[in-house]
Amino acid sequence: MRSLLMTVLAFFSLTALTCRAEVVVVLNSGEGTITRIDRQSYQPIDHFYVGREPHHLMSLPDNSALIVANAVSNDLVFLNPKTGDILRRLPRISDPYQIGFSPDKRWFVANSLRLDRVDVYDAHDFHLVKRFELASMPSHMAFSPDSSTVFITLQGSDQLAAIDLLTRAVKWIIPIGKTPAGVILTPDGKHLLVGVMGLNEVAVVDYKTAQIIKHIPAGKGTHNFMPEGDGRHIFVGNRSGDTVSIIDTQTLTITKTFPVPGGPDDMEVSADGKELWITNRWIRQVSVVDLSTDKVVRTIPVGKSPHGIFFENHAARQ
Amino acid sequence: MTWFETFMNGFTLTQAWLFEHCVNPLLPPLGLLAYQEEAFDATEFALVGVGEVALLILIFRPLEALFPAERWSGRRGVRVDILYTLLHRLGFIPLVMFVLMWPLTFKLDAWLRFHGFIPYTLEDLIPPLENRPLPTFFAYLVIIDFFSYWLHRFQHRLEWWWALHGVHHSQQTMSYWSDDRTHLLDDVLTATFFSLLSLAIGVEPGQFILLMMIPRILQSLAHANINWRFGPFERCLVSPHYHRYHHGIGTGSESGQSSCNFAVLFPIWDILFGTANFSKETPPTGIADQQEGRDYGSGFWAQQRLGCQRLWYALTLGKA
Repeated sequence: MRSLLMTVLAFFSLTALTCRAEVVVVLNSGEGTITRIDRQSYQPIDHFYVGREPHHLMSLPDNSALIVANAVSNDLVFLNPKTGDILRRLPRISDPYQIGFSPDKRWFVANSLRLDRVDVYDAHDFHLVKRFELASMPSHMAFSPDSSTVFITLQGSDQLAAIDLLTRAVKWIIPIGKTPAGVILTPDGKHLLVGVMGLNEVAVVDYKTAQIIKHIPAGKGTHNFMPEGDGRHIFVGNRSGDTVSIIDTQTLTITKTFPVPGGPDDMEVSADGKELWITNRWIRQVSVVDLSTDKVVRTIPVGKSPHGIFFENHAARQ
Repeated sequence: MTWFETFMNGFTLTQAWLFEHCVNPLLPPLGLLAYQEEAFDATEFALVGVGEVALLILIFRPLEALFPAERWSGRRGVRVDILYTLLHRLGFIPLVMFVLMWPLTFKLDAWLRFHGFIPYTLEDLIPPLENRPLPTFFAYLVIIDFFSYWLHRFQHRLEWWWALHGVHHSQQTMSYWSDDRTHLLDDVLTATFFSLLSLAIGVEPGQFILLMMIPRILQSLAHANINWRFGPFERCLVSPHYHRYHHGIGTGSESGQSSCNFAVLFPIWDILFGTANFSKETPPTGIADQQEGRDYGSGFWAQQRLGCQRLWYALTLGKA
């Protein structure tokens, strides 16, 4: 009886601890699993199956759950990041690779990189509003501040596309350079930055005129972005060069570059601006960079081909 | 750290090093940078293939020496099969098939979805499999083996397909290298079939790399020159003896109405469909007309050329 009581107490203590801890969620796209990591101790908490090829994840607009997009399972999984519980599974969402909510929370957009398609859903009930055939390889996305437009890089055809979400029509498509990947709005809302992997540069686009206004040389395989949270600087990962650079969006220059091993991909920045967490795509690890020294201070083993990463207490996305 | 974790760490670092230093630098000049993730997976495929070939040599070569089903004066006839094995298991032929199948697997898939049809996965069709990747993997293994059985039967039943499949059966010194000895057009047909199947039931969970090696190693074992039967498990798993009978001259696939032993992994399909033969006889392997002097070629290109010629005869004259 006593041992039973102790077991129950231990269970509840552990549960309470787990619930309090800040959790980092990492998607291992190559093996269909999630690794949850305790952000304070840097220790993995658990590792479980979620579906086939989970690449990207994001919070629901009301922060009630985390959406994990399983590209090959054709579904969205709603996850409680704190407990790791799968709350529900929304099936028959076709090949959701990259996902995003418009700032006004009205639209949910899913890119199908594999199948040259962009799907626009009503964000309230996830019913499909419009399906765009957009060749080729629609990859990353960014929204205009007024939610009227979603910008999408076309990795296979070296283009940047703009889709008008109000009229649900393609507004323009421009050549952007060889193999574009990440795209992000600058904090002042004036420009788009596009990571052009094949040119090892960031293209700066005036989206109102659909013109490239500047090319910023970066590292090899310039890939994906994450704002530092100070309203000015943005990190950009150079996936082939194993480095991360910092862009000053006011001067549109790179101010710093530091090494991160194994194909740095998706990033998350802590709200206090002290740590940058990065998935290392080729080496089954997550790296933690101390931003006071710009050095990798921790590497944490995760699963195969880690891609998306998230924690709740992150820096502002702009 | 367990030995398994140590092994996986070593594998991961080797794959990453090969990818970052040998494969990735080639992608931009080839205009293939958009396929970086596929190239990373292909590096893994090739590395697993290297390990697999090493295992074959380390395990099956001594077994062939210790327990031969046939005694040969030399292994010269085996050499060409080594080339087939390397081309397949290191990823060259799968890469070509991937490129050839691209319009089918991706364009057709995209077209279907654009018209409102989202292909199902096995978990959609069998809900208890949801969130159970290991049972799902084995369910795919059984289903794919079932379809492989029927595909194999048609490779023998249709004259024009047999014209190509004859390359595989023409080996008279059948060894653990012989599994991949196939005509390239036969590979295209097989890849087309399984691409269409994947549109119907999805593809198996891909995280069990070592488990994925097992069926391929078992198929190599089935072709090995080893006089093994599996005793009480003979009806559960295709043994070298069971499959050798399928390759036998005048037996197995050459028994007319009694053609037998088409199963790839599990003899259950032969048992269910009346094509199982657990004979203890160990016939010489090959095709009957080879004894009458028909040439199937001894080198890779000769075998491919003569396969095409037989296909032409089958399509124009009705007989390969």
